[in-house]
Amino acid sequence: MFVVGTFYFFAIFLIFSSLSVIFSKNPVNSVLFLVLTFLNSTFLFILIGAEFVGIILAIVYIGAVAILFLFVVMMLDIQLIDIVFSVKKYIPLAVLFALVIISEIIYLTVVKVVKGNILLEPSSINNTEAIGDVLYTKFFIDFQLSGIVLLLAMIGAIVLTHIYKPSIKRQNISHQNSVTASERVSLHNPKNGEGIDA
Amino acid sequence: MLSITYNHFFILSVILFVIGCLGLFLNRRNMILILMCIEIILLAANINFVSASIFLNNLDGQIFSIFILTIAAAEAAIGLAILVVYFRNNGEIDITKINELKD
Repeated sequence: MFVVGTFYFFAIFLIFSSLSVIFSKNPVNSVLFLVLTFLNSTFLFILIGAEFVGIILAIVYIGAVAILFLFVVMMLDIQLIDIVFSVKKYIPLAVLFALVIISEIIYLTVVKVVKGNILLEPSSINNTEAIGDVLYTKFFIDFQLSGIVLLLAMIGAIVLTHIYKPSIKRQNISHQNSVTASERVSLHNPKNGEGIDA
Repeated sequence: MLSITYNHFFILSVILFVIGCLGLFLNRRNMILILMCIEIILLAANINFVSASIFLNNLDGQIFSIFILTIAAAEAAIGLAILVVYFRNNGEIDITKINELKD
């Protein structure tokens, strides 16, 4: 009973905050509601016993992604725009979409019901430990590949946003190594009582 | 007996997915909001994976949810970097005006 009440509380809160992400005019409010959405889903995950994914969701999404969004929103100068609502254009698409979604719901809730319940008795091995057992053995290649994806994303983001300014003085090693003595040093033999024109 | 079943979580994730798609279709101007709607859609997929993994007593769903999280973080970083570069070059991010490749 308590679990069901908690589920409904967080689920309704989740839906309302995700609606606010879409419908708020100011993008800063949208980002903050996005944080609230992720926080509520974290609580839901912890409620059904997936603690590791819930905490990772909080760390990655709230700590990194949402803050990244917040930085970009504050960096760009965005004017407040109302939602451009044009219903007529999207009616065929909406009907198609609704048909697909409704048929999926009916198929999965009436025809092919997933029977299963949360294991209430505490098991000897906790969630994080179980995930660690599988992640580094069965899914080892996938784990490494996701690391490569993160590396590529990091390099790509740095390369994209890096600004090259010619006015900045910096060391160019290949240029330094390729100069010859004649470019840098000139020998002069000044006459007595005269200087050199530089 | 009153208890939460998989259907609760399934309906919740469908609602979240539809809200994300609604945001994609309704908002035609602001590109940051489109990226946020994609994050909501990925969150819906995550909720579906994790709840199925819990109710079927199979850990693979949670592992895949971690991979989805990784890809979502990479996608957000690259997307926002492209957005910043575009804003620096053009001074606006109105997606109705991003059609320069056409002519």
